[in-house]
Amino acid sequence: MSAIVDFPVKPEARPYLDAFARGDFTRDRREPEWLVGYRKASLARFAELGFPSRRSEAWRYIDLRPLEERPMLPVRGPKRASDRLAVRARLAEIGLAQPTHRLVLVDGRFSREFSALDRLPSGVWLGSTAAAIAERPELLRSRLETPPLDPARPFTSLNSAFFADGFVLDIAPGFAVERPFEILHLASGDTDTSLHTRSVVVAGEGSRAAVIETFSGAGAYWRNDVVEWRLAPGAELARVAVVEEGEEALHFGEMLATLGAASRLSSFVLLLGGRSTRQEATVRSEGERSRCDLGGAFLLSGRQEANILTTVDHAAPGGETCENFKGVAAGRAHGAFQGRITVRPGAQKVDAHQLSRNLVLSSRAAIDSKPELEIYADDVKCSHGAAVGDLDEAALFYLRARGIPNAEARRMLIEAFVQEAVELVEPAPVREHLLSRIGFRVASLEE
Amino acid sequence: MVRMLEITNLHARLSDGREILRGIDLSVGSSEVHAIMGPNGSGKSTLAAVLAGRDGYEVSEGTVSYLGRDLLAMEPDERAREGLFLAFQYPVEIPGVNNMYFLRTAINALRRHRGEPELDAGQFLRVVRTKLKQLDIGEDLLQRAVNVGFSGGEKKRNEVFQMAMLEPRLAILDETDSGLDIDALKIVARGVNQQRSPQRAIVVITHYQRLLNYVEPDRVHVLQGGRIVQSGDKSLAIELERRGYGEVEAA
Repeated sequence: MSAIVDFPVKPEARPYLDAFARGDFTRDRREPEWLVGYRKASLARFAELGFPSRRSEAWRYIDLRPLEERPMLPVRGPKRASDRLAVRARLAEIGLAQPTHRLVLVDGRFSREFSALDRLPSGVWLGSTAAAIAERPELLRSRLETPPLDPARPFTSLNSAFFADGFVLDIAPGFAVERPFEILHLASGDTDTSLHTRSVVVAGEGSRAAVIETFSGAGAYWRNDVVEWRLAPGAELARVAVVEEGEEALHFGEMLATLGAASRLSSFVLLLGGRSTRQEATVRSEGERSRCDLGGAFLLSGRQEANILTTVDHAAPGGETCENFKGVAAGRAHGAFQGRITVRPGAQKVDAHQLSRNLVLSSRAAIDSKPELEIYADDVKCSHGAAVGDLDEAALFYLRARGIPNAEARRMLIEAFVQEAVELVEPAPVREHLLSRIGFRVASLEE
Repeated sequence: MVRMLEITNLHARLSDGREILRGIDLSVGSSEVHAIMGPNGSGKSTLAAVLAGRDGYEVSEGTVSYLGRDLLAMEPDERAREGLFLAFQYPVEIPGVNNMYFLRTAINALRRHRGEPELDAGQFLRVVRTKLKQLDIGEDLLQRAVNVGFSGGEKKRNEVFQMAMLEPRLAILDETDSGLDIDALKIVARGVNQQRSPQRAIVVITHYQRLLNYVEPDRVHVLQGGRIVQSGDKSLAIELERRGYGEVEAA
């Protein structure tokens, strides 16, 4: 066993280092030297950082103890053929009604069988990360080797060391694609393993596209997904992420986005399923007059915990950020929203607004909402608002006074509350899909 | 004639202990229209709220029998499905819930309760169009969220429209006339008059006599200090308008 690092590592990191040294997760791959080096450096970084501390603000709402006590090592090599019927049934349930461009990853690896990539429009390259390493090495290398926005991200480093696959979408300058690209991440039932996926989206100047990613599966797995978005000047990208993981699953998702001048990013995350789910978006507005709309919602019940984090860093003047998040917690669930907006010195005329509204449906459920504004420029407009409350009693009585049973009336109000955040999601088929998944989740929320 | 509503010695208080209803006796038969009049603070709206089952009131004494059943033992939504309808004095705005969807959900809850098949979107729309026409109400109300951004008159019309759709056995209109201009008042009155039927009872709660120019009551009751202090036929309403409530109290 070769030593990766020559310093003492954190105990919770040790099993991952050993697994890397054994090399069993990479047995099937022949990767270029630069990537091998990148993985080793990333692993060393992870060894140095260890797991996030319970005192770290970014991880205080997710209980990492089960993960510390029981390592969940990466899936070894390509998985056995999964149950095709089960995969098809699940895809029919969680996928878009009329898919056009679809890329499916089963247990963190590209599945040609379930994907539909034969009608890709011109100006578009969409494929697995593994394929991109072979066919588009420069694109991938430049993205991966760019210094991260924040180097102290243990699980991002772990992801860099272990990612097996993912997707890469590259849209040439000036191309606009109307139909959404659909990415489906399925976990087929492996337990006590981790799935590390790494993806890259690059939008050329003035291009336009929409991507919907859905995460789903069965079993007690840990998904650690990292996606990097890069918007060239004038590009317009919409991103939707729907998290419907298995009941016992952990899901940590990270989006790192860089916005060029006058580009526009619209992101919406919907956290519905999984024991612990965390979606973090880190957006850096590098070019002038970029616009960033961040929205999302979590709907939780039982003992679920969920955490949405956003960090928007305005480094250039004239940028706009608009955030609208909703949270619903029933049972003993715990949700948290943390939103930070930074306006750097000289980033004048930035317009940034953040709203976090939450419904707590039972006395044992809780939601935390933590806005954070750091403003270092003097000519800016920034605001934030947060509310946590119960269902509107007057509205509930009104519905019941028309004969609608209590449980159904509550569902109507919960659904209306969450739907408001979805109203602006484009394109329409994606919005309708979200509404239908929300309706489905609301139906079982208070059972 | 069927005994629709039988209120006996009804006492009710607020959660802070203040007694608002202090022994109400009222009997309403099917086919009848009763008007309950009284000054502000007399307990009119509390009576409506207690009958509909709103939270925040405690019945300390008395009974309410509705079609022979103990009304107070029923949940608010069960009361509605059994045919009780309250037109709200202040209809509630419900952002995000489409008026049409709301009404269809309500109607289908009612139909399920009666063991009737649910209406699909097309069947529902046909019923809606017929009722809207009868009441001379525009279709635009239906496409909006429930009462959101409605004017005062639109909210009241929406209440009357819901009543027409749900076809209750017992309708209680809580100051549906308040704040309405004469045209809106006529639409509301038409809606109420169209609902008059041998199988239905209507209780109109009002502060003023003017609605009663358009809706002719069989009985008029004066509520004061949480009790019905006087009852009579429609001439009592006219007398009240002339003399004011102070005279009644003195009588």
